[in-house]
Amino acid sequence: MYLYDALDKEFLADRSAEFRGQVARRLAGELSEDQFKPLRLMNGLYLQLHAYMLRVAIPYGSLNVVQARRLADIARRYDKGYGHFTTRQNIQFNWIKLADAPDILDQLAEVDLHAIQTSGNCIRNVTADPYAGATAEEVDDPRVWSEVIRQWSTLHPEFSFLPRKFKIAITAAPRDRTAARVHDIGLVARRDRDGTLGFEVIVGGGQGRTPYVGPTIKEHLPAGRLLSYLQAVLRVYNRYGRRDNIYKARIKILVAALGAEEFARQVEEEWGKIDAARADLPDTELARIRGAFATTPFETLPATSAIFEANKAADPAFARFVRNNVKPHKKSGYAIVEVSLKAIGHTPGDATADQLEVAADLAERYSLNDLRVTHAQNLVLPHVKLDDLPVVHAALQKAGLATANIDLASDIIACPGLDYCALANARAIPVAQHIAQKFADADHAEKVGELKIKISGCINACGHHHVAHIGVLGVDKKGEEFYQLSLGGSGAEDASIAQILGPALPADKVAEAVDTLVDKYLSVREGDERFLDTFRRVGMAPFKEAVYADAH
Amino acid sequence: MKVVTANRLLDGEVVFWKAGQWVERFADAELFADAEPGEAAVAVGKSQPTVIVEPYLIDVTESGSGLAPVSYRERIRALGPTNEPTHGKQAEGGEAIEALQHASGAARSSGRLDLIRRK
Ligand code: HEM
Ligand code: SF4
Repeated sequence: MYLYDALDKEFLADRSAEFRGQVARRLAGELSEDQFKPLRLMNGLYLQLHAYMLRVAIPYGSLNVVQARRLADIARRYDKGYGHFTTRQNIQFNWIKLADAPDILDQLAEVDLHAIQTSGNCIRNVTADPYAGATAEEVDDPRVWSEVIRQWSTLHPEFSFLPRKFKIAITAAPRDRTAARVHDIGLVARRDRDGTLGFEVIVGGGQGRTPYVGPTIKEHLPAGRLLSYLQAVLRVYNRYGRRDNIYKARIKILVAALGAEEFARQVEEEWGKIDAARADLPDTELARIRGAFATTPFETLPATSAIFEANKAADPAFARFVRNNVKPHKKSGYAIVEVSLKAIGHTPGDATADQLEVAADLAERYSLNDLRVTHAQNLVLPHVKLDDLPVVHAALQKAGLATANIDLASDIIACPGLDYCALANARAIPVAQHIAQKFADADHAEKVGELKIKISGCINACGHHHVAHIGVLGVDKKGEEFYQLSLGGSGAEDASIAQILGPALPADKVAEAVDTLVDKYLSVREGDERFLDTFRRVGMAPFKEAVYADAH
Repeated sequence: MKVVTANRLLDGEVVFWKAGQWVERFADAELFADAEPGEAAVAVGKSQPTVIVEPYLIDVTESGSGLAPVSYRERIRALGPTNEPTHGKQAEGGEAIEALQHASGAARSSGRLDLIRRK
């Protein structure tokens, strides 16, 4: 993995010292809250309902063991012993004291972690495929490019005060695990027929109150020209983005207003003016960054493992775990292991300090010092030997981390909602817990198959409800928590925006309604259709009828 | 009836106005029958920027089990997150906390528009 050099380290230490000074001035009354707020937000520190919340970036979702342990340590010392993983590969600590924040940033900096650009109208933490470097599907390692973008965008003076926040996702596999098509920019790496690497550039996707699946504005951007092209996109946005209206300030609004073609034309024009030699990354620098990711010390192993097969035959729980959480690896004898943070009845995406330490220990012993976080709020051990899978599974079981539900109905994405978030209309976590209970029977959940349920506590859509197979949005209806259901969204390569099912439901009817939707699906599905496929085939009507016929 | 609330600068803790002090328990908050003295307390709060952040008035009402904030959001602020019953103010337990937990009905919207701008 990429390790920070002396320059990076010095920069992080400086930044942390600067924030310490700002906090001291705030506490002394030399800075007003209005002056201080943008400064704390630039360091990922929000004021939420009960305390400050610190959002720490996990660049391209990749943690080494020392970093994972440090996060556990911070959870224990400065929080209430847990952290919340978000849909953008960040971790949020919910119970932070302002006075502690500078110390926390120092401790993060010691292990090359930080909270820079996790808030504010700048280029945010770049999300990437959590299977990077492990899946055979990819045409290149997206971490290389994420790291390039991280270095380029960090404190980029031209792009530190954009009209609004700016989120980039990058994948190099045809199966999109990053929701690239609903980011401000989505990059999908592809190879030409002659093998040349390039990116499909998708611009102007987004969620929030006006969701869009982004259009492709360039089919094959030569990889070496990435930075100059990004610069051109951001320049056009920076110049014409709607700074007058916070609700219209995202790039998606500009792209929709101009039309993808006109936007692309303006970008090309801008691109033509940029001096490529200065803007694009020199090959030597790319090679240096690439080198940092190319050194995973895989062993040469046989493709099959007797221990693995024997355990699978003998232990049904292990077999279930393998069916749902274990994915093929590019190296023979290895597997990718998803660690679910969605145990039934627990808070989606929360991990305790103890669990983080277990994950770190397992990563150290069995996954080449590598731990990943996914945008679906789970963890990944990317490089586990087949031989080691039974031991790893047993250790996960002991820590409450072996729920075999990846992409099943109980693997629900939920934002913090009104339990923590100052912007929320309604709670998201308890609704997720109720729905998950309905699928606590693992046989039933497997029979239902892939079903992505996502819940947001308000229209900002941090919980990705617009791109859920079944989306749930918390709304405030005369002061009560109500929930609007929507169907048929996808954040994957077949991206689409979900359509509203009908009038919002009271909190105690949501899980029931999801159950009804699933029953309907099971009764009409053909072959091995997923819920989403069935919905796309039969449309809204049968589902609507099932839920609202019941309600009246 | 109204109560004045804010978050404490140093740690973000939810606090309530009580006769010139900022206290942590909702049950200890000073009740204002009229808006004016409440607004006067808010004004004092605004002059204490090194103590608290963003003071504002909330509506409270008789909820059946005792006084409780009208809005759901404010009840959660007065208690702590509902997914972690041992975290936040509710951890202390006791009658006043239980009354808040069982407060029902009459919840009205936070009444705080434009939150996205405030944050
Ligand atoms: C708790 C503090 C949080 C605050 C104050 C917050 C605020 C916001 C706001 C205002 C938006 C809408 C932006 C816009 O449309 O211009 C947004 C969108 C979003 N947030 Fe959050 N959020 C929070 C937590 C989270 C969490 C926990 C997650 C992940 C679970 C997350 C991930 C996202 C994503 C994926 C979007 C939608 C994509 C987009 O439009 O950028 N945020 N957030
Ligand atoms: S969707 Fe709304 S409630 Fe949920 S975290 Fe985002 S801003 Fe908060």
